[in-house]
This record gives sequence, structure tokens and C-alpha cells, in this order.
Amino acid sequence: MFFLSRQTVGRHRSLYAGSFVALAVGVFLLGLAATATAATVAYHGPASASISVTTLGGDGTPPQTVKVPLSDADVSGLQTVLSMVGTISGFITVFVIASTFAFAVASRRQELGLLRLIGATPRQIRRMVLGEAVVVALAASLTGAVAAQLATPFLLSKASYTELAPVKLEPASPWVPLAIAVGAGLLVAMLGARSAARRAGRVAPIDALREAALEPPRIGPARIVFGLLFLAGAITMLTLIRPSSDEGAVPLAMFTPMVIVIALTLLAPLVVPLVGRVWALPLVAWTQVSGRLARSNVLAAPRRSASLAAPILAISAIAGSMVLSLSFAADSAEATIRDAVRAPIVVTGAAPVDVAGVKAVDAGLPVQLVRVAADYAELEDAEGIDPGIAAQTRDLTELSGKLSDLTGNTVAVSKEMSGFEGYDVGDEIPVVFADQASVKLRVVAVVKNAFGVNPSFLLPLDLARKHAPDAQAERSFVLPADGVDPGELVKRLPGAQLAADWEADQAEGVRKGNRVGLVMLLGPAALYSAIAIANTLLMGSLQRRQEFVTSRLLGATPAQLRRMVLWESSLVGAVALSLGTATTVTVGVLIRHAMTAGVADVPVTVPWGILLGIGALCLILAVGSALAPTTYLLRVAAGETGVQQRE
Amino acid sequence: MTATAPAYPFTAPAEPPALLLDGITKTYRSKAGAVDALRGVTYHFARGSFTAVMGPSGSGKSTLLQCAAGLDHPTTGTVVLNGVTLLGLNEVELTKLRRAEMGFVFQAYNLLPSLTVYDNVALPLRLTGRRPARNDVQRVLEQVGLEGKAKRRPAELSGGQQQRVAIARALITRPSVFFADEPTGALDSGTSRQILGLLREATDRAGQTVVMVTHDPVAAAYADRVLFLADGLLTGHLDRATPAQIAAAMSDLER
Repeated sequence: MFFLSRQTVGRHRSLYAGSFVALAVGVFLLGLAATATAATVAYHGPASASISVTTLGGDGTPPQTVKVPLSDADVSGLQTVLSMVGTISGFITVFVIASTFAFAVASRRQELGLLRLIGATPRQIRRMVLGEAVVVALAASLTGAVAAQLATPFLLSKASYTELAPVKLEPASPWVPLAIAVGAGLLVAMLGARSAARRAGRVAPIDALREAALEPPRIGPARIVFGLLFLAGAITMLTLIRPSSDEGAVPLAMFTPMVIVIALTLLAPLVVPLVGRVWALPLVAWTQVSGRLARSNVLAAPRRSASLAAPILAISAIAGSMVLSLSFAADSAEATIRDAVRAPIVVTGAAPVDVAGVKAVDAGLPVQLVRVAADYAELEDAEGIDPGIAAQTRDLTELSGKLSDLTGNTVAVSKEMSGFEGYDVGDEIPVVFADQASVKLRVVAVVKNAFGVNPSFLLPLDLARKHAPDAQAERSFVLPADGVDPGELVKRLPGAQLAADWEADQAEGVRKGNRVGLVMLLGPAALYSAIAIANTLLMGSLQRRQEFVTSRLLGATPAQLRRMVLWESSLVGAVALSLGTATTVTVGVLIRHAMTAGVADVPVTVPWGILLGIGALCLILAVGSALAPTTYLLRVAAGETGVQQRE
Repeated sequence: MTATAPAYPFTAPAEPPALLLDGITKTYRSKAGAVDALRGVTYHFARGSFTAVMGPSGSGKSTLLQCAAGLDHPTTGTVVLNGVTLLGLNEVELTKLRRAEMGFVFQAYNLLPSLTVYDNVALPLRLTGRRPARNDVQRVLEQVGLEGKAKRRPAELSGGQQQRVAIARALITRPSVFFADEPTGALDSGTSRQILGLLREATDRAGQTVVMVTHDPVAAAYADRVLFLADGLLTGHLDRATPAQIAAAMSDLER
């Protein structure tokens, strides 16, 4: 059957162009993520920029020597982002490939029926469709891999010397990562093509005789069962987005939409007509014939409509949820910082504060230490503080123990760190400082979390200075003397800001960081989805040549047909976007609730511009890529007389 | 049609028939209610016969053909092809039987547009896993008058040439029964004659059985016998009739 596969792919170039582009872009992104990850793995920074630490061992694990890079040589941030880019790209690829293949099969019922009629068994048809997938996947994966290899030096030069990777990255050997990307591409294509192939095998020989190859409206029980399972999974994940999930809430808010998208896509042939009916009400009321036709077309072919809606739903739900969650996370960070700072003035920089009218200066020293555990060692941020002063300038409420005991080899830990590692007052934490000194720190207090203001570990100022003689304060909290107006003092202090302004700057910093992350994460996914949306709609419209010719013969004007296509694509777009919006709102409300628990007066920043932009872009793409081929086909059809004309 | 048309079914012939329909009914159920497309058709198609099935629109003639070819399942009744009962076969067995014993020609969309004429004709052999012999393919192409067109694609051929490719494809497996549904429906009269001549040849030379559904009296006149179908029942037949006789019978039927 491979002989047939090769021939039919050639014939259905327009159908498979979509799958080809989608897969090539997917493999390109996966390949880039893989080669860049390889570059970070291959990176061995200067020896001085890392500390060798021997883990404690125990419980059957022998002690091991591990190298912990200091933050100025740490590329793990880039690795995390790259792995997320890989995950999202992989997800969207499976998704788009499955829907383009399903589409390719749905629009070829007649041809598949003919093959069955002249003696092809269902098995042979399945193998033929899978064979087509292999042909397309091979070509697309290799194209994507070559493109990724060509683009790698550019990406690495852009990623070098950034916050994510503060070092110079060089391309590593591309063979292994690219082989992984190509393999993943083939695997993804096979997964996506499998259900399409199975459906193709069920086409009956009699379908060859049915002119209007309308698909049966039923969807398989397996699809419904899996859809409901994913829906149940999504609901479970949603219930986990609650205040007690702490740090887990944001990743949950990012991955839950993917599960929701899978569930909705599986159930789409049921859901899309349902929502479509609602959206069609105003359409039918306001337009004459075109809106009515558009509604019938969308409702009569639920599976086709579902394929068209899928990529719009995917990107709007995932991007929307991510944008909203990160914005709410920044809001909550802003409120936390605000509540944690008590001093009215913050001075940025290391310059000593010695001006008249200052009562106390809390100039904490930021240091890094490696926390050593039984089978791992981890770099942690710490700060050396004067507990007497710091307790006045920031919120260091003791939940247990006494902060005033913070002298000598002692440490105060945040509630979060104590919760993660089970630290209690009196416990000893083995650490290694940057000067290679191993010290055991006794926990003297557990204090309230104050993300953005206090790190998880607070040390006595003297201890920090001893092990990091070069450490300098990055920001100091200043208390004015009694009777001195902070507003007036700020003007006399170089680098000083009122606390409120500093807090706003910090929040803005968080948002800016988020934006960079969003661009890295969503940029490729959005580009990809845009291609996918355009793709499915283009394919969808090009298949309708015969229908347009017939409608023209029946007396429909080109303008009427264009309007019909306009309403149709808008209808599908509106259905997909309303499902995407519902997902975004659900996730947004839950994450908001989770993040604001216990914090009063959290500002609400909804990034309307970005959210509406995503929606508008989806809609424009959907309508544009349906209208363009229609206009083209109508022009071609103008010259044709016949319904008689054959393929 | 003679006023004394014998009651159907005919008495069974001595020789076992190529195709036997026994009490075929077909009821389509939909939201609008049940429609009886066939209401009990029994007929023996003799080996080597050329039979045309005629009837007004909605008489059930296409349904009859589809049930006879195993493309659709009759609601009740049995179909026996060369001694094999179609009812008991699963999808794969049915496909293999269709592959070996049946050939199909329809009004339109008979060919795979991506394949050349040669590959279209050779396809049934490839589907059985056999490597088509070049000579065999060339021979059937010559038989239908398409030598020299082997490398063309269907889109480069006229409608009549495309139908001839479809016939060549049906001939290559030497099926015992040909099913043709309005094979000349989209063709001009000159081209139609060639196509019908080829079907006639199949029965005369190779002893193949042809069952053809048509609404065209001229096409039906190529058959040994014309069966008339109305409201899902066989109502009469004409043997070796002229187009004029057939047309008269049809207009009686439609009255």
C-alpha cells in the first residue's frame, strides 16, 4: 500500500500541506529546544564559578560529590524554559496533526469508498493512511530538523548573557538532539494519524456512490469516554488550584488548560454544535440567507466544524489562562511585597547611608549558600541581617522560635522552606558557603513568608560577612528619625525611593520578567497555532469548490457566498473563543482565589489589551484564511459552467 | 411489455445462476418514518446474461444493485453469488469476494485521480497482493481501445475514456459479475455506444454476467432482458426489445 500512499500524498498536496507545515514547525521548535538544551548541558563554566559539595548520603545512598554552579554560571533557568517550550510545542503538535489528519480523511470519504469498492480491505486502507502519514512526517521532520540546526546559533547568541543564562553558549553536537526531535515528530505524526486511519478503515464501499459525502453525525463511544475522562481530570486539577497549593498553583494553572483543551476537543463534535446554535441565533436574526446557510453548514458537519475550531480553542485557552494567571501572580506579588515592607524609604545600591535624620538602616547582605541534603545539594539565596533593625523595617513575624537568637551559626527560615523541608526550631541544616566552608546552621526561628523581600534563609549579618567578604547590600530599608518627614528625607538620600514607589517598581519588574517568559513560551506556540488555524480553514475552503460552483449555478451571487463563508468562519471562531474564554475565566478566578487568600487589598490587573488581542487575532486569522481561498475559488468557478466537471 | 408477464420469481433454471436474489426487502428508517425501498425481490441472474434493470426514480433500482453487490445489507432475504451467501460474510471476506468476483462501473467518480491509467487498472491486482503483469494490463487497455494512454491521468481523459478505464479495471480481475449503475449517464450517445458495446462483449465473449441499472431505453436495449421495477417490486420484463418497445413500457410504468 506504500505505493498508493506515495501517489495519494502527491495528489492531496493541499490537504497534506497543512500537516506538513504544522509538523515541520513543531519539529523545528522541538529541535531548537533540544539543541539549545544540549548546548546548556555541554556548557561547563569556569571552575571558580561552581562549588564542589559532598552530599550527606544515608538511607542506602552513598555520599556523592556534586558540582553546584553559582548563579553567575547557572543555566538551569534556560533549561526550565526550554523544557516548557518543548512541552507546549509537543502538545500543540500532536493536537494540530491529529486534527489535520482527521480532516484529510473526512474530506476523502468518496475516494476511500472507491478503494474499498474495488477490493481494498479496511486494513489496507488503514495502512495506506498511516503510510501517507509516514511520507508527510518524514519529509516534514527532516525539514524541521534542518531548519532547527540552521537557527540554533542565532537562538544561542540571543540567549547568551541573559538572566536565564548569564554565560556564553556554544552549539553542541546536533545529532542526538535532532534525532530526538525527528523521532518525536514521527511518533507524534503516528499518534495523530492513528485515529484518522482507524476512521478511514471504517469507510464503507457504498460511500463511493454517495455524492454528498456528509459524515455521519455520531461520534464514537471511545471518544466520548476519553473526553469525559479528560474532563474529570481537568476538574480534579481545577479543584487543586486553591490557597493550600501554594507554589503549585501557577504550574497547575498552566497545565490544566491543556487538559481542558484535550477534553473539549474530544467532545467537540457534541459541544461545538451546541454552542454554535446559541451563537447562530443573532446571526440568523440579523442576516437574510447567508447566516442561515452558515448555521446549517456548521451544524450539519459537526466533525469538520470541530476540526476547524480546535486550534483556535487550543491557543486561546492556553495563552489566555497563562497571561491571566501570570498577571494575577504579579498582583499577588505586589501585595505581598507591600505588606512585607514596613520602612517608609528604600535605598537601592550599596552606598552607605549616612545622612542626618536617619534612625536606622537595614542593609542586608545577599549571599548564596549550598544546602546539602542526603542525595542532593542545592544553591539557595540567603541574606545576612541585623535582626534588631530588620524586625522594625520588614515583616519578620515569628511563627515559632525567637529572631533575637540569630547570632553565631544560626539561621531563620521562611514558613514555606520550613514546610518544604520539615525544618523546625532547633534543627541543624548543613550548608557550604561560597568560600567552601562547611557549616551547620541551627534553626532559631520560623518567620512569615515575604516573597520578593526576604529570601528563604536569614543569617546573622556577621556570619554572612565572614563567609562572603565581598558581599554588598543591594537595597536598604531606612527608618527616619522621629519627627523627620520621609518625603523630605528621600530628597536628600541618593538612590532613595518612598517604599510605595519601590514596591510598584518591584511589581513592574515581576511583570516585565513575566512578559519575557510569555514571549518565549507563547511566541512559538502562537506562531504555530496561527499557522494551524490558517491551515485548517484554507484546506476546508479549498475542498468546497464543487459546492461553490453548484451554489453559483443555483443563483447565489459571489457576494452572498463570501458572506456565508464569513459568517461560517466567524461562527466557528466565536464558538472556539467562547470555550477558550470560559476556560480562561475559570482558571483565572480559581488562581485569583488561591493567590489572594490571607492577603488584603490585592490589586486586580487584567491584561485586557493582550487578552482581547489574542481573541481578535484568532478571529481575523480564521475569517481571513476562509475568505481568501473562497474569493479565489469563486473567481475560478466563474469560468466553469458545469456541475458535470469531475475531479 | 406483454400483458401476460409471468409472475416473479421465475422458475429456477437448470444451471445454477451466477447471482441469486431471494426475497430481498430493504427498509430505510429515519426520523420521518420508514421507507420500503424494496418489497420482496426474487430473481435469478443466469450466467453469461446481460440484464438491464429499469424503473422510475425512487423505484429502488439502485438499492437493488447495491444489495446484490453486497454494498448494502438487505433488511430480509438472501443474496447468493456463485454459490456463496453474502449474508454470512464479514467485511474482509466480503471485500475479498468483491475483489475476485465483481466488477463495478458507475456514472461518475470511478477512478483515483492521483493514479495513472495504468495504475488505476492495475490497482485491483495490487490490492490482492499480486504484482500486475504488464502484458495483462496492456491487453485490457487494448480491449477497451485505450492503448497508448497508459501514462495519462484521469483528468487528461474525456468522460468516455474515463469510463473505458473503469471497464478495463473491472475486466482485469476477470470477475464473474459486472455491476453497472448508469454507466452512460454522463456520456453523449456515440460514446455511450462504445461503452455498452464493451459490456455486451463481456457477456458474449467471456461469458461474464452483467447487471446494469439505467433509465435510458437505448442503453437497456443492449441487454438480453430488461427487468422493470416499480415501488420496490419487479413488475415485468422484456426480452431482446427495441428501444421503442422499452420506452413504451417505461411510460406505461410511470403513468
